[in-house]
Amino acid sequence: MNKIRLLYIIPVILFASILLATNYNDDHNSGTNTEEPNTAKENTSTEDFDQMMSALTHPRCVNCHPSDNKPKQGMEAHPHYFGVERGSDDQGFVVTNCKTCHQKENNDFSGVPGAPHWGLAPASMNWEGLTRTEIATSMMDKSRNGGKTPKEILKHLTEDPLVLWAWNPGIDAAGNPREKPPISKEAYIAAVKGWFEAGAIIPAE
Amino acid sequence: MKISFNINGQLQSLEIEDSNTPLLWVVRDILDLKGTKFGCGKAACGACTLHVDGEAIRSCSYAVKFAEGKNIVTIEGLGNRENPHPVQQAWIEHVVPQCGYCQPGFMMATAALLAKKPNPTDEDIDNNIVNVCRCATYTRMRKAIHRAAELTSNKIG
Amino acid sequence: MSKNKTTSRRKFLVRGGIGTLGVLAIGTYVFRNPLRRKTLSIAETLIPPYNGSGTKANLWFEITTDNQVILHSSKVEMGQGTFTGLAQMAADELDVAIEQIQVIGAASATGIVDGLSTGGSLSIASLWVPLREMAATMREMVKGEAEKKMGVAKSELTTKNGVVSGGGKTMTYAEVAEGVTEWEVPSTPDLRPVSHYKFVGKPIPRVDLEAKVFGDPIFGMDAEMPGMLHACVIRPESIGATFKSADISKAEGMDGVVKVIETEDWVGVVAKTFSQALAAKRAIKVTWDIPKIWTEADIREMLKVGKGNKMITQKTGAALDPEDAEVVSIEFSSPIGAHAQLEPNGAVAHVEGDKATVILSTQVVGITQKQVAKALGIGTENVNIIPTYLGGGFGRRLNTGHAVVAARMSKEVGQPVKYFFTRKEEFQNDTFRPPTHHVMRGKLNADGYLDSIEHHYASGDVAINSVLLPKIASTILGTDFGAMRGANIMYEKIANHRSEQWHTTLPFATSWWRSLGLLANTFAIESFIDEMAIKAGKSPVDFRLQVLGTEGNQARIRKVIEVAAEASGYTDQVVDNRAMGIAASIDAGSPCAQVVEVSIVDNKIKVHKVTCAFDCGIAVNPNQVRAQCEGSIMMGISAVLYEQMTLKDGQLFPTIYGPYEMALMRDAPSEIDIHLIQGSDVPLPVGEPPLGPIGAAIGNAVRRLTGKRVGDLPMRI
Repeated sequence: MNKIRLLYIIPVILFASILLATNYNDDHNSGTNTEEPNTAKENTSTEDFDQMMSALTHPRCVNCHPSDNKPKQGMEAHPHYFGVERGSDDQGFVVTNCKTCHQKENNDFSGVPGAPHWGLAPASMNWEGLTRTEIATSMMDKSRNGGKTPKEILKHLTEDPLVLWAWNPGIDAAGNPREKPPISKEAYIAAVKGWFEAGAIIPAE
Repeated sequence: MKISFNINGQLQSLEIEDSNTPLLWVVRDILDLKGTKFGCGKAACGACTLHVDGEAIRSCSYAVKFAEGKNIVTIEGLGNRENPHPVQQAWIEHVVPQCGYCQPGFMMATAALLAKKPNPTDEDIDNNIVNVCRCATYTRMRKAIHRAAELTSNKIG
Repeated sequence: MSKNKTTSRRKFLVRGGIGTLGVLAIGTYVFRNPLRRKTLSIAETLIPPYNGSGTKANLWFEITTDNQVILHSSKVEMGQGTFTGLAQMAADELDVAIEQIQVIGAASATGIVDGLSTGGSLSIASLWVPLREMAATMREMVKGEAEKKMGVAKSELTTKNGVVSGGGKTMTYAEVAEGVTEWEVPSTPDLRPVSHYKFVGKPIPRVDLEAKVFGDPIFGMDAEMPGMLHACVIRPESIGATFKSADISKAEGMDGVVKVIETEDWVGVVAKTFSQALAAKRAIKVTWDIPKIWTEADIREMLKVGKGNKMITQKTGAALDPEDAEVVSIEFSSPIGAHAQLEPNGAVAHVEGDKATVILSTQVVGITQKQVAKALGIGTENVNIIPTYLGGGFGRRLNTGHAVVAARMSKEVGQPVKYFFTRKEEFQNDTFRPPTHHVMRGKLNADGYLDSIEHHYASGDVAINSVLLPKIASTILGTDFGAMRGANIMYEKIANHRSEQWHTTLPFATSWWRSLGLLANTFAIESFIDEMAIKAGKSPVDFRLQVLGTEGNQARIRKVIEVAAEASGYTDQVVDNRAMGIAASIDAGSPCAQVVEVSIVDNKIKVHKVTCAFDCGIAVNPNQVRAQCEGSIMMGISAVLYEQMTLKDGQLFPTIYGPYEMALMRDAPSEIDIHLIQGSDVPLPVGEPPLGPIGAAIGNAVRRLTGKRVGDLPMRI
């Protein structure tokens, strides 16, 4: 956990000035920047936000961003069986922890999902029960998001294999494929990038 | 695919067709170590618990490819009749097992717990020892876990 | 049941020569006067006589070259401690040290074939006299032969730790037995008084303790045969589904697959490894004929008091008038229960020509032998069933017909096949504990004690349709005597008491689950009695004692209630947010009373302590009896607080631990205080009776704590 924090501090210093200059301008038009998003039709910032949040509020994401100490499972988001909890480091208890069962890949034999650094998001990143606006606000708030700059958040959201696991969630213990978020991975990534490029504006509730 | 790892103090180099084969089957059917059990194959019951680099791992949900270069210990390597592990010693003193099928998994989880927390509280035990025992020997297990902690600290201290 | 052969001949046969175990002599025994024994024992203890193949020469004991004794047990070891108890009983009459006895499950080709089963909590109780008589007779046979070899009169000879001594000389049993092909058979000697025994009555450590602590490969799942292949089977998932067709094209070409076998009921995949078989199984598309999608509501509607086949199972005094305003009526129910034993069912089978060998965990060696023989069209003498240690039985393995599936697959591929169930197959092909429904009715008399009580109960099959009984038995008996366990009112002094059974066969298999009807029946009866005690404003202890007689079993029930109440400091009052509840039952002649201490934590019922008073007569191994009490209590807590199978989309559900909630370490009471009482001079059933009181005891505590009477299991507040 401390290692991850360290990794973020260095880029923060580098990127802070760039972000201050470019990202919070209301007049900034999406689509006039260097990189074109991968979608045929250009979304407004609000549309990008809606698409992004439709994924981020899906159980595949919220289940590991609980508002208590219990990871959630399934579409009905029941508390993780066998009393598994956050523990002292978001990784479970000292001996029965995430790694006891979850590895860095899905396991088709057991139906146990897996991805690199499987574990809970820290408690400050609780999303369960929050509105989309509350989640987005929390996500952009450096004091709650692990000190991430917007560029780091963007990278996390579009490149972290644990996040992208939501689109490769494997099969469950009964052999049934887990439901993915309501938009495709490509559309999600495009929406996230579009939203950030447009200034990461959180629409009013 | 060739996979090498150390198991119970011995280096093993195996040619395994499907590298996603759960470690459980490699241990049981290729290495003929039957102490680690199949109870559910879904990482729910814990009967397949063994140690990988000192961590308690449910081997039915662990692809053998991840075992490359690792140090694996099963119940057969935890201790034996001549030299029992304190957990096994405590299990014997309290005559814990009934049918016995789930017991290796519990002993492996317990040994991993004591290695990290030599003096677990009842709450530590409740949180960490979550395997399923249908004969329901939990009451004796708890006593044996505290006794094993005692035996371990006696060995050290 | 055993045939009525009125032989009184004792016959000892010897198989000479040295076998793989260095066998020198083998003793066998035929029961003396089985008919008389049968009549007497049923009358006294309700324990049916040992149902061995009592008129054929059977192998019980072997003496090996290194002076060990192998006891071929017809009863299997599934955790209940039977091997240990039998070893103790044998050692005390045979005069060997407990370390000298090795107990193994008797294979049908070489040992006793138990035509019935290991179950009913009867292993120790039914073998108490016969096994000790055999051991004693064998000891005298050894002395008789030693007399010749040592040249010392038999009356001068003593036996201890497998050694015969006398006249300044010694000889081991192995040395005595060497070269003997014909033995002199003495009359069965008198058995020693129990007070003389060194092992019986002592807490000897289990004989299988080290094997289980050091991970020895002793279970059915661990069995192997050279050249063995692995198999998986596809069975219907939907209730009532039948096999229509299968697309096996993809599976046949997959890695390691040897053969895909289609039969009328199932599709099997045989492959080189288990993972390969499993992967191929997933690639098979089966089309099922599903006549109906069953729902939970369907089952509840079928299984109700007032529906199905009615039979009065107890009747004393007059029936209650349900219209009587003084009559209190309360309903109770229990859900479908899964066995969920940790070792899945399966078998390793090898069929070669007209011979078959099957290694498996089973509670029914003889029946399985017959099933395999019949399926293969060969004689039973050509089928060798080798029982292993069971990773849990609980009644599930009273039907191990899957041995036939393994055998058929072996025959198809011409090699040994190891086949076992996946956990999903276990949950969907269980022989479940049937759901039940109860209507309790009662009325107080002018003094505020019970004047009348009636237990009307509905259940699915327990005994009926079991492979243990011939089909005709159901028609003759009319009643399901398994569902009847614990259903009768045990308080003789309640002037009017009766029980009435309503039986229905459900569309999925239900059968024997540890203690059968006892758990649910006692929950209903003892909860109701407690409720009536509250209504009468009386202590539930006094309320019960008042309507118990003073002789025989009544006295024994009275005693366990008194001991449990006293030892626990039973009180009706809620103290520090904790309440107590008491309940009692008698099952197969063993009464048990329990007091629990309960509180509500996070809206959940938490059991802190259980005090248990149990009378099983002679406790052959008191530590093992305690273990059975602890296990029964904990299994009971699991069943009454958490467990529940249901139906989803016409399938039995759930199919994995976790969703099928069970008690874990965190749910165990921090203390189980057991008091053993010896109220009889024989050993009585142990494995199941302590399951009786726990449900009602918890319900009664919850009642006092919350004011709410929970009637449905699993309990929710």
